[in-house]
Amino acid sequence: MAQFLQQMVNGLALGSIYALIALGYTMVYGIIALINFAYGEIYMFGAFTGLFLVLTWKANLYLAIFGAMAFTTVLGLVVERVAYRPLRRSRNAGRLSALISAIGASIFLSTLMVLLHGPATTGFPTLFQNRNFVLGGASISLYQILIIGVSALLMVGLDLFVRYTKTGRAMRALSQDADAAALMGVNTDLMIAITFAIGSALAGAAGVLAGIYFNAVQPYMGLMAGLKAFAAAVLGGIGSIPGAVVGGLLIGLAEIMGVAAKLSDWKDAFAFAILILVLLVKPSGLLGRSIIKKV
Amino acid sequence: MSETILDLQDVTLRFGGLVAVDGVSMDVRQGEIRALIGPNGAGKSTIFNLVTGVYRPNQGTIRFGERSLNGVPPHRLAGLGIARTFQNIRLFSSLSLMENVLIGAHSRGRSGLAGAVFRLPPFRQEEENLSLQAWEALAFMGLDQKAGELAKNLPYGEQRRLEIARALVSQPRLLLLDEPAAGMNPQEKSALMETIRRIRDTGITVFLIEHDMRVVMGISDRVAVLNYGKKIADGLPAEVREDAGVIEAYLGTGGKRERRRTRPVVALPQVALEGGAGHAGN
Amino acid sequence: MSTVDNSVSGAVPGAPAPRRQPAWLKLWPVQALLFLALLVAVWAVTEALNLVIPAYQGQILLFTGINVIITLGLNLITGVTGQLSLGHAAFMAIGAYAAAICTVSLHLPFALALLLGGLVAALFGVVLGFPTLRLSGDYLAIATLGFAEIVRVVNTNLKITNGAIGYYGIQKRVDLPLVAMLAVAAVAAMAWLENSRNGRAMRSVREDEIAATASGVNTTFYKIQAFAVGAFFAGVGGGLYAHTTTFIQPTDFGFLKSVEQLSMVVLGGMGSIAGTVLGTIVLTAAPELLRFMSNYRMLVYGATLIVLMIFRPGGLLGGVDLRDAVRRALMLGRSRTVRTSVGGDGQ
Repeated sequence: MAQFLQQMVNGLALGSIYALIALGYTMVYGIIALINFAYGEIYMFGAFTGLFLVLTWKANLYLAIFGAMAFTTVLGLVVERVAYRPLRRSRNAGRLSALISAIGASIFLSTLMVLLHGPATTGFPTLFQNRNFVLGGASISLYQILIIGVSALLMVGLDLFVRYTKTGRAMRALSQDADAAALMGVNTDLMIAITFAIGSALAGAAGVLAGIYFNAVQPYMGLMAGLKAFAAAVLGGIGSIPGAVVGGLLIGLAEIMGVAAKLSDWKDAFAFAILILVLLVKPSGLLGRSIIKKV
Repeated sequence: MSETILDLQDVTLRFGGLVAVDGVSMDVRQGEIRALIGPNGAGKSTIFNLVTGVYRPNQGTIRFGERSLNGVPPHRLAGLGIARTFQNIRLFSSLSLMENVLIGAHSRGRSGLAGAVFRLPPFRQEEENLSLQAWEALAFMGLDQKAGELAKNLPYGEQRRLEIARALVSQPRLLLLDEPAAGMNPQEKSALMETIRRIRDTGITVFLIEHDMRVVMGISDRVAVLNYGKKIADGLPAEVREDAGVIEAYLGTGGKRERRRTRPVVALPQVALEGGAGHAGN
Repeated sequence: MSTVDNSVSGAVPGAPAPRRQPAWLKLWPVQALLFLALLVAVWAVTEALNLVIPAYQGQILLFTGINVIITLGLNLITGVTGQLSLGHAAFMAIGAYAAAICTVSLHLPFALALLLGGLVAALFGVVLGFPTLRLSGDYLAIATLGFAEIVRVVNTNLKITNGAIGYYGIQKRVDLPLVAMLAVAAVAAMAWLENSRNGRAMRSVREDEIAATASGVNTTFYKIQAFAVGAFFAGVGGGLYAHTTTFIQPTDFGFLKSVEQLSMVVLGGMGSIAGTVLGTIVLTAAPELLRFMSNYRMLVYGATLIVLMIFRPGGLLGGVDLRDAVRRALMLGRSRTVRTSVGGDGQ
């Protein structure tokens, strides 16, 4: 039981990171139905920004997180502006063109980081003394508390924002019917940009948290994390914010349980195996709206 | 009376709590032009979708000739002799007119992967036959001059005609037309009525949904009226036009105000109905 | 019950004008022979080419040919049938491992091994095709991506594939003439397939599934068939790849490989055979041509994808009717049916 509780704690911490990135995928998808493949790279840039701030400016934890979020926000906006917005404007551009453009942005960003930093993995300097607390037989580290706490804070903040602000309402309107929302005076481009900004900020925070937690930062870290987070978003029901959180946590838990069951060599397959199984049973994801076929 | 080709018995379909089609029974007879009318949201297109297997009824049976359509996969219907058009045009828009119609003739062919790759004489013979049939269908709808154009580049009225050509090429016994006159101007509507009669004259039974009363009253042999998923009238055009229940459904009465308020659009068919009455007076 | 003559024939005298082609050319044995002659010609030319060009360029040509076979398969799944696949490299991996195991462990003849590699991949294509019964669009895309990741992890952990270390000791059995002939045959087979009842049904699935069903097309069947045939091509290509490099490992067939293959198809022009071939040539050669830029080349590659999608979202050949273009270029007169506005319509 204690063992199980322990794995739950570990899974929750890992899952929080996936959930944060998954939120970015799901929000953008909900609004413009685009798989933003560059999100994994934005997460990676977040991790590097944090690393840079800590190494160069001796920033503390909060500064590192906020600095990374600020930088990735800008980066997200630039990516949206350069790689996606021109395609949205072009009448000939289908969804696949946008997808390829997103993939191009992803390759560009990861290569850029290889050029700036080199392909090697760097450890994250210790920001504070890690400690373990024992809680009902399971031990939880300060790092884990940090990750779960920051993630929860950001998710609740996002939920409140989307639910209760005018901007949030406009975003939800946009995801229901873009044309109608535009007719009602919603500034579509601005809302899309805000969505990218928020998603990128979350990915930036996730990057720093992951850097600290795994004590490893490298230019290709975004690929697998991004794919799994995307799987998490689809698992939960893409377009659904609670779905992304549930999906992220589930995939984190599944991976940790797999590792505990001495199957760590197979762990990269778990996320996707679960995903496929869930989709076969419920094609729109766990919390996704099922689309009624209209004839 | 000629025999029944399509027979719906007590057909019901629910979407969650909403009863879209409520115990509807009606028949279509061989060789006639049969119309189904009713206010928006009355469940007309849903009836078509039930007949073509897009939806499955919660209860009731649908028979086509001697055969029950319950459990028949939708893609089999074309082969059995049921073809349809759609209310919101559904063409293969980035393909040519010819290709659109050739796909409509899918059920008339049999060749598969091996035929396509090895191109032996039986395959070629079939392709030739199909393309001949496709030309005929295009020409029947007056579109053969544009066979090589892309469907999406056609004007609206011709897109509707292409849909009919695509349905005709499968040589159906029953043709379902879902609001064929929608969006057409008066000239196009008269041409359409003429075309529908010509189709009937080749022996194809026509079952259509239409809002335009001039078209409905002008060509239909029998008209059924649907309101809130229930059939409220069925008979000759003249009978239906005089039916008190039908007039109430379209115009509403004082006693039914409460219900009327929930209906989104009521003005459009009202005008159309008056137009229809005027036409029949000629 | 009386049967009614409900054919619409007789209404029109106008049948299509027959194509102007000598009758003997229409006989299928003649065409089969001509096709064989074409293959022989391809063999002769590439054999000669092999002697003239440097080994390095020959190698690039060879990989281009292998890639063409593989991306034609992806084009059938995604471009023609409209089922977005982000895991095509998995089929290539399955074909590569299966063919390698066939020649190395089972000592089967190379040709048989290639065929078996393709068939095993096709089998997995059918298996993966089944989710398409229920999934569509991006949900399908992520399922294919997941499938590919699972295949990679399985290959990393199985004994028979020699795990992460990689499978080595494969004999080099592939040369340029063989690949060129197979690539030409693949192009021809795809062109034939697309221009048939079967191919039209596949395109109707891409265009509108509901209308396709109403036209009598069993959409499920054609989706699965597209996955099977597409996977077969990838599997054969994988077998060729294994017997070219003589060494394969799971990371050769990762997500980035799938993405690269998809880029080739989209870059050239989705659903177009010529576009797929062109996109494959460009993207196979580009990294090599950019090699002088060393570390910057992937940067340029990524940026190029973005720029191309912005300026030619339908792909390089998107909206170009090749036959018409060639005809116009050769001044052979207009095509039989007048085409208005074909240009500018990307997909």
